[in-house]
Amino acid sequence: MNWLSRQSFLGPNSAKILKSARIGIVGLGGGGSHIAQQTAHVGIGKFLLIDPDRIENHNLNRLVGGTARAAWRRARKVKIARQLIKGIQPRADVEIVCDVWQAALDKLRECDVVIGCVDSFGERDQLERFCRQNLLPYIDIGMAVTAVGPEYLVAGQALLSMPDEPCLRCVGVVTDERLEEEARNYGDAGEQPQVVWPNGALASVAVGFLMQLLTPWHAAPLSGAFREYDANTNTVRESPKWRTLGARKCPHHPSNDRGDPSFDIRLCSDGGSGVKRSAALWGRIRKIFSRS
Amino acid sequence: MRAELKIAGRMLAEIRSDLKRPHTFAHERVGFLTAGIVAPPSGGLLLLSREYAPVDDEDYLDEPGVGAMIGSDGMRKGLQMAYRARSALLHVHTHGGRGIPRFSGIDIRESRKFVPSFFNAIPQSPHGAVVLSNDSASGLLWLGPDRSPIAVTGFVRVGVPLQRFGGLQ
Repeated sequence: MNWLSRQSFLGPNSAKILKSARIGIVGLGGGGSHIAQQTAHVGIGKFLLIDPDRIENHNLNRLVGGTARAAWRRARKVKIARQLIKGIQPRADVEIVCDVWQAALDKLRECDVVIGCVDSFGERDQLERFCRQNLLPYIDIGMAVTAVGPEYLVAGQALLSMPDEPCLRCVGVVTDERLEEEARNYGDAGEQPQVVWPNGALASVAVGFLMQLLTPWHAAPLSGAFREYDANTNTVRESPKWRTLGARKCPHHPSNDRGDPSFDIRLCSDGGSGVKRSAALWGRIRKIFSRS
Repeated sequence: MRAELKIAGRMLAEIRSDLKRPHTFAHERVGFLTAGIVAPPSGGLLLLSREYAPVDDEDYLDEPGVGAMIGSDGMRKGLQMAYRARSALLHVHTHGGRGIPRFSGIDIRESRKFVPSFFNAIPQSPHGAVVLSNDSASGLLWLGPDRSPIAVTGFVRVGVPLQRFGGLQ
């Protein structure tokens, strides 16, 4: 019996579709590690894992695949995730980048879907913008623990962000006020409280989006989606904000921003190899500027 | 050489719906699609759809021998749309039906006349022509005004679900 036979309801060619799909997971901490594990179980065949960080002792309360030994050795989070995936699918194609995602733009561009599990609003905003500019579906998850009087409110959200459809700014997750506040507090934010189960719940919602995106599982019309998770009541619901937005086209990411503004076909006069060389040149130039 | 065209799901639905509208005398409708370009380090070209504009009713010429013939005003409007952002400009029409559509002899002959002229206004970008069916597509891409076109090797509809279709004839 095929190891994916219990999920054949996803569609006649679903195993093949999932095996050929390449997903990029940015951030392999509390949220991203859950997603790496679930997507390996579901049969995704190609992974690009990006995270510059190493596991620390205080990550053990939530990082799936993290062990005391790995924390003691301060292992790379991407290597933990790769080990997790390879343990489930030894033949999976797993590429890791132990750096910030901005250092792997060309690799991200070749993914079918990008899943963002990054901490700051600024990073989420930039990553979504990159995906919009490259016509990549983007799935974003985020959670926060907020003190409200004597209690703590644990809440998060998952967004399936598709080109021309509502984005993080449209649904109010990213706002100029939040970005300014984040910039003011940069380096002074301290340790944000995080726990394992809300990350798991949100990661499951994100993997659900991914399955609807990649497989012919069901025909429910879905142009994008925004779900809110309330850990205090243990509920996930469609955000009322999403319903309010309806079929409105996103105004925050102009379609003319797509592509490389510096591209010039005349620099590629000898055909495909020239295109390749030109891209490599621009890649090197971008890398130099991203370092400065 | 690999050349892939990605189109946002919402835009592809709008294009198909637009091209289905009947015209007073033209047998088929035509539109212009603009695209940004990326050259991946692995080689080839990736075209990323930007804007679509239908050819206005008054810009069709009454030419019974062809499905649709558009005048210089129609071409100029398409070029203006692409010129602003230095986009690739793709002439789009549909043959309807199912499966990978083929360019007709007239399509190829006419494309060879007008697509190279797009380079006069926007020499930085490749330009071409796309023919749709109801579930697939084919495309030809010129990398320069004096060069033979290459085939678009594949199309991606960036919607839910994500779909790969069409390509090399």
